Amino acid sequence: MKDDVVPIAKPSILLREEFDDWAVLFSTDSGEAYGINPVSVFIWKRLDGERTIDGLVEELIANCDDAPDDAGGQVLTFVNELLAKGFAGYEVDGR
Amino acid sequence: MRVMSTPRLLDVEITSKCNLRCKYCYHFNSAGETKEDIETEEWLRFFEELKQCVVMEVCLGGGEPFLRDDLKEILSSLARNQIRFSIMSNGTLITDEIAAFIAASKRCNYVQVSIDGSIPITHDEMRGKGNFSRAINGLKTLLRHGITATVRVTIHKGNVYDLEGIAELLLEEIGLNSFSTNSASYMGLCRRNAEQIMLTPKERSLAMVSLVKLEKKYNGRISAQAGPLADGKIWLEMERARKEGLLRLPGRGYLSACGAVFGKLAVRADGVMIPCIQLSNIELGKINKDSLVKVWQEHPELLKIRGRRSVHLSSFEFCEGCDYIPYCTGNCPALASNILGKVNHPSPDACLRRFLQEGGVLPENI
Ligand code: SF4
Ligand code: SF4
Repeated sequence: MKDDVVPIAKPSILLREEFDDWAVLFSTDSGEAYGINPVSVFIWKRLDGERTIDGLVEELIANCDDAPDDAGGQVLTFVNELLAKGFAGYEVDGR
Repeated sequence: MRVMSTPRLLDVEITSKCNLRCKYCYHFNSAGETKEDIETEEWLRFFEELKQCVVMEVCLGGGEPFLRDDLKEILSSLARNQIRFSIMSNGTLITDEIAAFIAASKRCNYVQVSIDGSIPITHDEMRGKGNFSRAINGLKTLLRHGITATVRVTIHKGNVYDLEGIAELLLEEIGLNSFSTNSASYMGLCRRNAEQIMLTPKERSLAMVSLVKLEKKYNGRISAQAGPLADGKIWLEMERARKEGLLRLPGRGYLSACGAVFGKLAVRADGVMIPCIQLSNIELGKINKDSLVKVWQEHPELLKIRGRRSVHLSSFEFCEGCDYIPYCTGNCPALASNILGKVNHPSPDACLRRFLQEGGVLPENI
């Protein structure tokens, strides 16, 4: 994936936040559900089509005291999973 | 068990009316049989609240949901609010037109049709003349439109000898992937007709043997959350644990049978929220008047039912001296409530000790 790729969440995917920081992404199109951790919730909420992968990593490190050491790798893995599942799309940043 | 922040699923009795009067219906002759259905607008408003709560699925039941002439409007509203739906039906009113509409919505998880026999007599005995062929037609209509259709078989005195035929019809002739089973329980209309309907321990033993065999034959394509197949499986596990002298089975020894109230809520046709369709007498509040989140997170009755998991079975006189305590879940709270008027009590209906005392035999011992 190139650095200037801007991922964007699909509007048909809903986020259900539960107690204890766990959450579920849920496709209203297919009914498929997918459990995610707090780091992924942080990323998901920012997949607005405005932020690049690098931007998301920077924001994660700046905002989370317990950001993982391999923040860049985790963000990339999560976004790739979303793309593979069809839960997110992407567009090349034309700004 | 973790309680969800809001219910993940809602069972909604969209109407209290039905075109049939099945002899063991749990809806009629219960608090769920309400005089009036609330107006369409009320449901539509409520679905907007469900969207705010990110409810993932609404299961429409009743009564018979296909009786509502505003069903399309209701389904469209669910889709608009990004809520998937399923429908529980007797199958007799499903037309090509409504099936096409459901298929086009692309939000339907499944439609469940009740079929209790392989031939008209075993189905119609409890559900009324002509309804077997109507239900089969309804089921086939759903399948023709590519809708995921499931079948629930309710086992009773009149069809306990027809189980093999039912499996053959549904899995071989019609070609369903699977079907589920339960049995008529002491609720609703069944309370009036219990003698005629409910299985004796001998018939229950027979149903267990047939279903365990059929489940093997069809590679797990028959399932159950209640009734003889579910009881048979859980009782065999309990008996094995007792024979092997296990200290206890995980999560057992307490009133731990039901996890529904941790992720599910229900609404009666009059808009009253209840913990479960089968606990329709426990009123928690009214939709569009009381906040769903507040009811879900704070209502004392719900908290009490959730708390039943910490009630040890040895605290009940009913279980005194029972060797199965460390392996038992105390069974369905709704049945306990219907039989004894107490939710937080073991249900006598699925009590292994009582079943054996009354002459019941477990499958592997037959
Ligand atoms: S069991 Fe279902 S179909 Fe039969 S009377 Fe009750 S609601 Fe109607
Ligand atoms: S008496 Fe029945 S409900 Fe109680 S522990 Fe024994 S088997 Fe379970």
